[in-house]
Amino acid sequence: MSELLRVEHLKKYFKTPMGMLHAVDDVNFSINQGDTLGVVGESGCGKSTLGRTVLKLIEPTDGRIIFDGRDITFIKEKENLELRKQMQIIFQDPFSSLNPRLSVADLIADPLKTFHLYRNPEERKKKVHELMDMVGLAKRFEYSYPHELDGGRRQRIGVARALSLSPKFIVCDEPVSALDVSIQAQILNLLQDLQEQHGLTYIFVTHDLSVVKHISNDILVMYIGAMVEKSPAKELFKLPLHPYTKGLLSAIPVPNIDIPKKKVQLQGELTSPIEPKQQCRFVARCQYATEACHSKVPEYEEVLPGHFVSCHNVRSINGL
Amino acid sequence: MSLLEIKDLTIHYVTKDSIVKAVNGINISLEKGETIGLVGETGAGKTTTALGILGLIQSPPGQVVGGEILFSGTDLLKASDHEMRKIRGDEISMIFQDPMTALNPIMRVGDQIAEVVYLHGNCSRAEAVKRSIQMLEMVGIRAERSREYPHQFSGGMKQRVVIAMALACDPKLLIADEPTTALDVTIQAQVLDMMNKLKKKLGTSMILITHDLGIVAESCDKVAIMYAGRIVEYGSLEDIFHNVSHPYTIGLFGSMPSLDKDVDRLSPIPGLMPDPSALPSGCKFHPRCTSAWEECSKVEPELYEISPGHCARCLLFRKEGAVNE
Repeated sequence: MSELLRVEHLKKYFKTPMGMLHAVDDVNFSINQGDTLGVVGESGCGKSTLGRTVLKLIEPTDGRIIFDGRDITFIKEKENLELRKQMQIIFQDPFSSLNPRLSVADLIADPLKTFHLYRNPEERKKKVHELMDMVGLAKRFEYSYPHELDGGRRQRIGVARALSLSPKFIVCDEPVSALDVSIQAQILNLLQDLQEQHGLTYIFVTHDLSVVKHISNDILVMYIGAMVEKSPAKELFKLPLHPYTKGLLSAIPVPNIDIPKKKVQLQGELTSPIEPKQQCRFVARCQYATEACHSKVPEYEEVLPGHFVSCHNVRSINGL
Repeated sequence: MSLLEIKDLTIHYVTKDSIVKAVNGINISLEKGETIGLVGETGAGKTTTALGILGLIQSPPGQVVGGEILFSGTDLLKASDHEMRKIRGDEISMIFQDPMTALNPIMRVGDQIAEVVYLHGNCSRAEAVKRSIQMLEMVGIRAERSREYPHQFSGGMKQRVVIAMALACDPKLLIADEPTTALDVTIQAQVLDMMNKLKKKLGTSMILITHDLGIVAESCDKVAIMYAGRIVEYGSLEDIFHNVSHPYTIGLFGSMPSLDKDVDRLSPIPGLMPDPSALPSGCKFHPRCTSAWEECSKVEPELYEISPGHCARCLLFRKEGAVNE
């Protein structure tokens, strides 16, 4: 499979009165056509900022974004607009991301109008129906408004809007977090079906590890702007190497009463991403922290084939 | 005698256009020290049940249409406002879902905890303040932070303050409404762990409202699965997890991506939660049920006993020859 997106040393800093906020700090990855990269982490770890920076919705501070063989890091606004046809986003909250004054058909036709596609009203209508059908929205909702629909249907509108320009690549920013479990499963299945039919490539940003395991090929774990671990999805759950990933995985409540719990409980909370010190960002909560962890930023290295970790003590902790 | 016995509780919201039947004939009993999980999706009636117990249903539009809530033998539905005010926060207290909105933003957290103690505790202000500090330490917050304001705390820390407040008067019953939904997983694990330890230490009974079966598995003794204002399955933790019976509960398990199994596709429940003001006839779940047959749309099932203590509201479990009451 060919590589669709490659991100090298991507950085996004925000200026705040207290100093520079390192929202995304030196992130590297690549995604092949048709694959899904899951990005997980707790709130404030920079996962949404990463998704938006890759789409150029936010200007990156430094680094390189190569999409489809082309460097798009610092291209002009006009070219950026062209790029939107190929890269789209599905937002988290289907309650606030849809204009309440547009009907379902208008909402879905909106991107088509922006790009002057399907100018003939008849054809446009046909395309809208086609999209509604694709995401499983019944035609009778055509003239409904978002407030008349439930969360699951609203999220289907969001999916239809993202698909309307036939993109190659979609960033799904917590697309199911605001939904009930039974509806969440419906949307996840829809996203997987669409991926298979259209060969879509996803970045799937979420805080829910079970969702990400279900849908991703590779998983990237972030902690305060930095990447701590990246590995094939199944391997990450079998063999988490970074102490943070271990803690994160064991914190998930498992709906099974037969598995005895062995908890690696993480104490404390996320530290501030503003002007972080030159040290491992996880050091304050890490039970294995040594002197090196306090004085040096760990390197991001390939510990096992395809399995990257940034931790000074990864080998001694895991007995590798 | 059980600590809490809810019998046939029915709560409706009456509006100009329609009657929303939020809770329809719920029966729950809870012993001292036990935890029951109320599980269901949005609109299942979980929170309305909790508010009903506390007498906090806003009226209008809310109306407790019928039933009894026996708490240590007295019917809370017959208690006067004055009596309820004494019970609330003292013998029964509640942890709300969103710690960001449950605290008063312009009052020091220590004072907010001390207020509960002072109002219920028959003690001096100084004693109440002492107690508030003791409570903060119990939930893992340093005493000197008692003079800080809510905005100075992170989400997890705020939820700890809310828990300290709820436990300050040694309640017999604690109602926790999605206490960790707004928190990150690692913080959720810390808060749940702390709640379970405190519950054991203080012997408090708890009603835990959640949509996460994982949390239920970790914290509950009994489970009640709710759908459209009814309990559709009821049983011990083992009953629900080892012998899941009602098609809706099976659907809930199938909808959750699993960490220990690999499945290609999830098997979600088709369709949507019914409109609570226009519920379907017969079994309320039948339009979404994969094992429904003709009778399901006509006959409203009762809770049929599958094994002692384990019931499901589904015609599949009706015993042949049983006489309908």
